[in-house]
Amino acid sequence: MKPTSAPSPRFTRLMANPSSGAIFLLVILIVVMSVAFPNFFTAINASNVSNQMVFVLLLAIGMTVVLITGGIDLSVGSVMGLSAGVGAYLITGGAPLILGLVATMAAGAFLGLVNGLMITRLGLPDFIATLAMLGVARGALFLWTGGIPIIGYMLPEYYVISGLAQPFGFITVPILIAIVAVVIVAVVLKYTSYGRHAYGLGSNPHAAVLSGVPVARVKVIAYMISGLMAGVAGMIMAGRNTTVAPTMGLGYEVAAIAAAIIGGAALGGGRGTAFGAVIGALVLSLTANAINIAGVSSSWQQIVTGGVLLLAVLFDRMSSLIRARSVRLTMRLAHA
Amino acid sequence: MSVRERLTQVVAIDGLPVAAGLVLATVFFTMTSPFFLTQENIANLLTQSIFIIILAAGMTFVLIVGGFDLSVGAATGLSAATTMLVLMNDGPLPLAVLVGVGTGMIFGIINGFVIAVMEINAFIVTLATLSIGAGALQVLTNSTQLTGVASPAFAWLTKGSILGIPSGVVITLIIVAVLEWVLLFTTFGRRVFAVGTNPRAAFLAGVSVRRLTFSVYLLSGTIAGLAGVLLASHLNSVQPGLGQGYELSAIAAAVLGGVSLAGGRGSVWRAVIGALFLATMAQGLQLIGVDPLWFSIVTGASIVIAVAFDRAVQKWVIKQLAAATRKRDVPAETDDLSSVSPAVPSTSGTRSSVRNTI
Amino acid sequence: MSASENISEPKKSGVSRRSLLTSMGLGAGVIATTGLLSACTTVASTGSGATGGGVAAGSIGGSSYDAEIKKLVAGRELQIGWTPPILSEFFKQMESAAFGRMAELEAAYGVKWKWERSSPTGNFDAVEQQISTVRGWTTRKFDAVLVCTGANFATMQDVYQEASASGTAVFQFNQPVEIYAPEQISTVSNIGYDNRWQSGYLAGKFIADTLGGKGTVIQIMGPSGSDWTKARLIGFAKAMEENPGMKVLGTADGGYVREKGLNAAQDLLTRFRDVNAIYGENEDMALGALQAVDAAGLKSWDGKEGIVIVGADGLISGMDSIAAGKLTATIDVGSVDQGRTFIDTIFQNVVLGESVGKFINVPTRVVTKKNVAAAQAYINNALQPSKTY
Repeated sequence: MKPTSAPSPRFTRLMANPSSGAIFLLVILIVVMSVAFPNFFTAINASNVSNQMVFVLLLAIGMTVVLITGGIDLSVGSVMGLSAGVGAYLITGGAPLILGLVATMAAGAFLGLVNGLMITRLGLPDFIATLAMLGVARGALFLWTGGIPIIGYMLPEYYVISGLAQPFGFITVPILIAIVAVVIVAVVLKYTSYGRHAYGLGSNPHAAVLSGVPVARVKVIAYMISGLMAGVAGMIMAGRNTTVAPTMGLGYEVAAIAAAIIGGAALGGGRGTAFGAVIGALVLSLTANAINIAGVSSSWQQIVTGGVLLLAVLFDRMSSLIRARSVRLTMRLAHA
Repeated sequence: MSVRERLTQVVAIDGLPVAAGLVLATVFFTMTSPFFLTQENIANLLTQSIFIIILAAGMTFVLIVGGFDLSVGAATGLSAATTMLVLMNDGPLPLAVLVGVGTGMIFGIINGFVIAVMEINAFIVTLATLSIGAGALQVLTNSTQLTGVASPAFAWLTKGSILGIPSGVVITLIIVAVLEWVLLFTTFGRRVFAVGTNPRAAFLAGVSVRRLTFSVYLLSGTIAGLAGVLLASHLNSVQPGLGQGYELSAIAAAVLGGVSLAGGRGSVWRAVIGALFLATMAQGLQLIGVDPLWFSIVTGASIVIAVAFDRAVQKWVIKQLAAATRKRDVPAETDDLSSVSPAVPSTSGTRSSVRNTI
Repeated sequence: MSASENISEPKKSGVSRRSLLTSMGLGAGVIATTGLLSACTTVASTGSGATGGGVAAGSIGGSSYDAEIKKLVAGRELQIGWTPPILSEFFKQMESAAFGRMAELEAAYGVKWKWERSSPTGNFDAVEQQISTVRGWTTRKFDAVLVCTGANFATMQDVYQEASASGTAVFQFNQPVEIYAPEQISTVSNIGYDNRWQSGYLAGKFIADTLGGKGTVIQIMGPSGSDWTKARLIGFAKAMEENPGMKVLGTADGGYVREKGLNAAQDLLTRFRDVNAIYGENEDMALGALQAVDAAGLKSWDGKEGIVIVGADGLISGMDSIAAGKLTATIDVGSVDQGRTFIDTIFQNVVLGESVGKFINVPTRVVTKKNVAAAQAYINNALQPSKTY
């Protein structure tokens, strides 16, 4: 995880690019699957995959922001479940749909705020603070529901919002929401001072402090974005599942972190993009889809998933090495 | 030396607050439940936590170099399976142990090679090997029922007793002691810290960062293999999903004990204290009759309190040390950084640095 | 009803399983319990469930019998621990049913129940938590513990032996004990059902019968390696084998949760265009599959055509869907009867000292639109116990 030698800034910048290696792997996966299974490369399967990947994608975008600042958010799965519960409960109790949806997202952002404050104010390591939140939010949802799923909030509009009803054909509302989220986060990261601060804080915290980056605020906002994304994901999943079971979102944090890292983010901070998160989420969702389409026996599934993960990072590594070499070559040529 | 200075020195021992938390929890549960401090319960508590303790001890090395090993749980499960497989085919016990440990080593070699030599992100690599290992256990257990070996010697590994102490606990103590010795008193251990603190400086000082990183993962895999052998002896049966989630418990234990995820800081005993704290909380809450639905909330809250207290103590220590330095008219660095700031060189050698966030 | 023939499959060697006596198909009494309590159990668990569990207090075995038993019980206090693998709708139904039965026995015989529930939250240490739960209850000298767990079989046997050695009687509920050798199981009794012939087989046979013995099926399974999945698959495969016209196109892992069930069904429906039936191995996954069918613009079974979707467990939410004509059927594995029966079994064994069967299977039933109202009424009645503990 630690660089073995000091990387040149140019090299670092190249590494920060969204993973072209993962894209390469995606292309191979799609080509092989399309040739072998005629049902794979179809509009309906494309729609399936994009609807299935929305949750991991949303969580991965938020996770990417947190990772860029040098943090980690283990609580996203639990936060997703608890915020979905809040919204569903309100709607069941007669609140208008819009209030329920806003409450879901607000609950996510609030839990993110708590994460951020625990880390900046109490000085807890990110891992510990968000691990505690993982347990607390999940336990709260169980205690609150007593194990019984929340139902009865599925107003007709909710079917549209969650993509179960598809009035616009293959492009469902969740896909639109995900696109909007990707674009907003991408713009924030690239063109705002918040984005610059986040990358700065992640790549060199000490320097960031000295150069006047409002470290605590940048961190808290990152966790709030992650919480908000978990809230949005919870809002959509509550609709897609039509019930909020207390186990909702269990284990999603691992998928989110994996997607973000495949997409080029690093646990050390300073690297990652929203577009990379899309690629990462696509790799994971497409692998799961390919396993079902190809009919891989269920006991081999984990091995295949692990293998694809490993290939994804290997490809990424190779491509970045190649890029670095070509850069060195051009530089040498320029000197000569 | 004034009382205050002496106090500063005592609380400056890393991991002390969590150790204090452990003692506090023990006292609390002893007072609230007549069953907590019974021989039966303590033996239960220890035998249940030895696997997490062993894994946390191995994990400490990986964390100190700034790495991450998510595959230890899966490696433990698969090692347990291969150990059983050898014994079921009438292989001798030493061979079975060797195969079990070897299985863990294979995980270590693969992780180490891909992470150190190919320089790929440890989180994702070990997540991949976790998945592959858990899958291999699935495939293995799908075809054969791994259960029922009648080998008293093998059972003794965890179920025997040495001087009245369960043998599994004794073996764990030995493993922990050896690992702590390696970490604190050998060149290898010093290099682990050097690479974790500043890989570049370590490299310039002639440490092969690559080789060291590789050996750390190899060590973690080997330890997981050992844990697997003990687990197989403990259960005398292996089922799919064995070892699942051990990695998170091990990492949480180490971090709770004060091993830094950013690398450079930690020790084996601290990870052990962390593991014991978590186990004690779970067991104690159980004994006083708390619904486990509250467990995660109470445990979460107590972790937050313990670590927050730890941070507060650290801040106090640094302030004391800074004050002491100032008194000696040495111009002190004004370390007025917020807690999220990275390693701040402390003004004394007593304590390495402000604890990093990741 | 073919279930009873299948239950007496020769595979189960020597041990006289309770199931041989008790599962005489739908509508029969649950457990012709050894001696004393048979009258009440029959009333309590009339298979189709119309009567419900509300037996008037004090009328269990006739007034003079009740008075004698009350003397024997002598106001004894019973501390019971109950640990399901997770708190869910299914186990909530079971717990409520248990409360109802406890209240009845308390009213009739004056037994004082103390109940402790301990359910993990499904986080990474769930299994370890259950093990330490049972150990903790053993240490605290509980009279009886009730366990259903996904933990390692051998580990649990050790834990159970420790418990019995220190005087705590161990009972398992809803546990797929049928896939292990009976002599290896260290519990007093196992109250549940045979996942092979009382769940998997029933589902397969229902699908085959509905489709007239000819058609294609896709399976949404629980997590690979789960004991429940293994057992149900055995029965389902047997039903498919008996109907050569049936063809299993493909299977996918739905992890027992709705979201994964939905995804798996979507993928399988993309892979296979001509699907006549979907077997969701629990209700949540079957409901997820139903959503996938809806979203793909396909039709679920309407009595003549469409995709037959069958689940298993018997949840109120699944039955609502059946009543609404969406889900075709589910296998109700007797959450209510299991709850009532394990309380009876504990009372008989721990309080009265009677011998109880090691394997007590409650009736299970295929719930379709035809009998869903009765099944719902039975569960709804159980969900309102006169007293909670």
